[in-house]
Amino acid sequence: MEDAFVHSALPLLAVLLPIVGAGIVPALGRGSERVRHVALLTICSATAVLALWFVPGALAGDVREAYLLRVTPQIWLHLRVDALGVLFGATVAVLWLIVLIYSIPFMTDSHRLRRFYSFLMLCLGCMMGVAYAGNLLTFLIFYELFSILTYPLIVHEETPAALAAGTKYIVYILIGGSLVLVGVVFTFFIAGEQTLAAGGVLSSDMDGGALRAIFWCFIAGFGVKAALVPLHGWVPDAHPAAPAPFSAILSGVMVAAGTFGIARVVFQVFGVEVLSQLGVMPYVAALAALTVLFAAVLAVNQDGIKRRLAYSTISQMGYVTLGISLLGPGAAVGALVHITNHAFMKGALFLCAGLLSKHAGIRNVSEISGAARRMPWTMAMFSIASLGMIGTPPLAGFIGKWYLGLGILDAGRPFYLIVLLGGSLIAAVYLLPIIYRAYFGQPPSASARCPDEREAPTSVLAPALITTLLTIVLGLAATVPGSPLSLAQQAVDSFFR
Amino acid sequence: MYAWPHWLALVVMTPLAGAALTPIAALLDRRSPPWWALATMTFTSLAATMLVLRVFAEGPFSYLPGGWAAPYGVELRFDEFSAVVGVICLIGWMAILFSSRYTRSLPEFASDRSPYYYALLLLNLGGMIGFAVTGDLFNLFVFLEILSLSGYALVAVGGERIAEMAAFKYLLMGAVSSVLVLFAIGFLYGMTGTLNIADVTARLGALEGPTAPAAVALALLAVGFVTKAAIFPLHVWLPDAHAAAPSPVSAVLSGLVVKLGVIGMIRTYRIYYGAGLFDLTVLNHVLMWLGAISIVMGAFFAIFQEDVKLMLAYSTISNIGYIIMGLGLATTYGVIGASVHIFNHALIKATLFLAVGAIIYRTGYRTLSDLRGVGRAMPLTSVALSIGAISIVGIPPTAGFLCKWYITLGAFEANQPLFGFVLVFGALLIFVYYIRMVNAFYFREPIHAEVTEAREVPVSMLLPTLVLASLCLIMGVLGRIPLTFIEPGVVRLLAPLGG
Repeated sequence: MEDAFVHSALPLLAVLLPIVGAGIVPALGRGSERVRHVALLTICSATAVLALWFVPGALAGDVREAYLLRVTPQIWLHLRVDALGVLFGATVAVLWLIVLIYSIPFMTDSHRLRRFYSFLMLCLGCMMGVAYAGNLLTFLIFYELFSILTYPLIVHEETPAALAAGTKYIVYILIGGSLVLVGVVFTFFIAGEQTLAAGGVLSSDMDGGALRAIFWCFIAGFGVKAALVPLHGWVPDAHPAAPAPFSAILSGVMVAAGTFGIARVVFQVFGVEVLSQLGVMPYVAALAALTVLFAAVLAVNQDGIKRRLAYSTISQMGYVTLGISLLGPGAAVGALVHITNHAFMKGALFLCAGLLSKHAGIRNVSEISGAARRMPWTMAMFSIASLGMIGTPPLAGFIGKWYLGLGILDAGRPFYLIVLLGGSLIAAVYLLPIIYRAYFGQPPSASARCPDEREAPTSVLAPALITTLLTIVLGLAATVPGSPLSLAQQAVDSFFR
Repeated sequence: MYAWPHWLALVVMTPLAGAALTPIAALLDRRSPPWWALATMTFTSLAATMLVLRVFAEGPFSYLPGGWAAPYGVELRFDEFSAVVGVICLIGWMAILFSSRYTRSLPEFASDRSPYYYALLLLNLGGMIGFAVTGDLFNLFVFLEILSLSGYALVAVGGERIAEMAAFKYLLMGAVSSVLVLFAIGFLYGMTGTLNIADVTARLGALEGPTAPAAVALALLAVGFVTKAAIFPLHVWLPDAHAAAPSPVSAVLSGLVVKLGVIGMIRTYRIYYGAGLFDLTVLNHVLMWLGAISIVMGAFFAIFQEDVKLMLAYSTISNIGYIIMGLGLATTYGVIGASVHIFNHALIKATLFLAVGAIIYRTGYRTLSDLRGVGRAMPLTSVALSIGAISIVGIPPTAGFLCKWYITLGAFEANQPLFGFVLVFGALLIFVYYIRMVNAFYFREPIHAEVTEAREVPVSMLLPTLVLASLCLIMGVLGRIPLTFIEPGVVRLLAPLGG
């Protein structure tokens, strides 16, 4: 059990602030764009501050709770902020703020900006709800809402390709959501309880067949969002279709919401003991290992930069699922910390990809030759984030993989160490050639496509730089109290008590 | 206030009398019928509110017209399921308000026809109210005929050739199902010598001798009511009828009239559960399967429709499938979910039909490809339509989610998890259609100038649409109200099962 419960309205505020903001933004936008931007930034910063405000309490083991609403005796909503939620919530809010700062200059000449920002804020509110959900139903409601509200952001460009990708996305996600719903109802029916707390609501004296059915409903449902192979089909299409800032969010935290759901289910619905008795986790681990390698291999062959990055996300999320499925404390810490670190690294990569595409017209790996001469800052950031993604110490990506590796050895499954290293190796194979070409490739001849082949303006470089710096800082300062690592350890401690 | 006994008589008599007087009102002032109908429904709503409050406070109660006791007098009985009267009044009122502008400016409503339109609408609403509150089998049949016959006429009122064909098809299926119900009532009367539902239940329980006629009566009632409820494969009359009718009428037909088939089914159940004559497992299984097939087939047909109203009509079949499946599960959660969905689906479907009606009224188009870009031209109506669509798919926290949650719980309770899956995934199929609609309304370039130049509809049409749409959201959050209201009724309905 956690140490202390604090009833608090702050979690509710973190969820409602962006949602209310989404209602205000379109009204403001009519007058002046400046007012709108200030309002957006204020709301988003406030949410981020709130999300970070929870960190010290979570480290001390406090749990904040807020009851929202008892719709019927069987349906109630409630928020509960534990260490795991704080970790994910802070990641979401901070990444969102960075992306918003980037979007404002980046999206200026795009159409329907009021719609874009409204839905962006709505999604933020729902994501905070996912992070702080205190029971399965609250989780499901916010999870479904943000999945659906994402749709207008994915099809923002309104091109046929975007619409097709959007349809594919929504079909995949809703099938996943329905499976989760069945799992939630089944859990509630069997256990009569659905609060998400360490120890789990299901116990091993319940019918094994039913427990297995629930488990696979959840894994398949969240697996769609977490892009577990073979449920990953929507990811490579949705990312290139979405506007660059939103791709960063999509990859950084939305796909991660699926793995976050898996973590909730494994540690707080079933609990470690029930699952180790049930003996289903080795299958999930195998699936995750397959995801890591399969997606990485596919990434090597992609020419589109965003498409390649999307496959890389699938592969990296495989690490997270692998870490969770080993049911050991070390591996779990590695997995949870990798969610956060991956969010900022992938954020940096997508933000740079957006700059390349907007300011140099480069969308494909084959066109990138010589780009570093024209856009030195962008390519430098891209390189650092890539190295982080591969897992080079001391960058952020290394931390998660280190703990994951230790956890694998702890669990006595050295085979997965090969998967871990192999995945990183292939990551090097699909990321390093981009950098090599950019620095050492021959730039295209005089008939260049883009007239202003200069570095992107500072206003868009700055947010990309923040994510890059975070990639470095999160790696160097991993042991400082308040870092993602310390939060992940706090969360995992409560699961394995 | 609500204890006054005569509200129960008034709630039935007011709309019927109002219907009879509408042509006279039209003689006095040509423009008065909509306002006359609205006044009638306002008073009926008042009576319905009193009745619902009373049943909530006191439980079921009866009214004996003229003070004649049950075997001789014709009993009216109001229980928790009769509270559907409240929804009938709400949606009836909204549909009439919506019609007031609609009938004035459409060519098919030449001014001489409009009084009959309102008279028929009132007759239809009165028939439904009577059907829901009667405690007498023969009256049940009479009210069934009133609501069915007025329904056929209302479908044809649009006046196009397709509407006449649709009405004729509706008439054929409807008449056959009415006759089946009449036969069954005859059987029951022959066996028990009474027509009062409570008496029939008691005497059927004490019946000696062969039970076969009772079984035949049950089968006839089930087929009759299931046809009225448009369960696959007896649904063939529904899509054309609901799509061809004027939009406010579609809202009433799709939101309410088919539900009365379900209410009939519940009444049948009460007789047979109460009598305890035989085990109803077989019937329950049949209903469960029919419901499941309807869910899937209705949704499947809906996906391929280009015409928005046809799609909504098919989605009704799918939703009635939920309700019938919930009834067939025969567990507390399942039947609660089904009963609450009778109420919520009425709200949702009325929202959808009124919003689509408003769009058709302004643009004159009704297929997805013609309506491209309408979301920007008519933002409020389109938002209402979107809310309705999200509710019908059952995305939490809208009204439609309650039914999904409870019927799925009921499926687990009945140890039939497969049906939970069918329900959840049937709803997904409908969502596929909704994605096509959103894409067309918001994300594609318009192809008709009429669509881009369309303005929002006048307040008398916009208000009902928006009120119903917000109810779709509010009833999702306040789900406790219908739930706690219906629970005692459901427990009483299922009680004899346990012993």
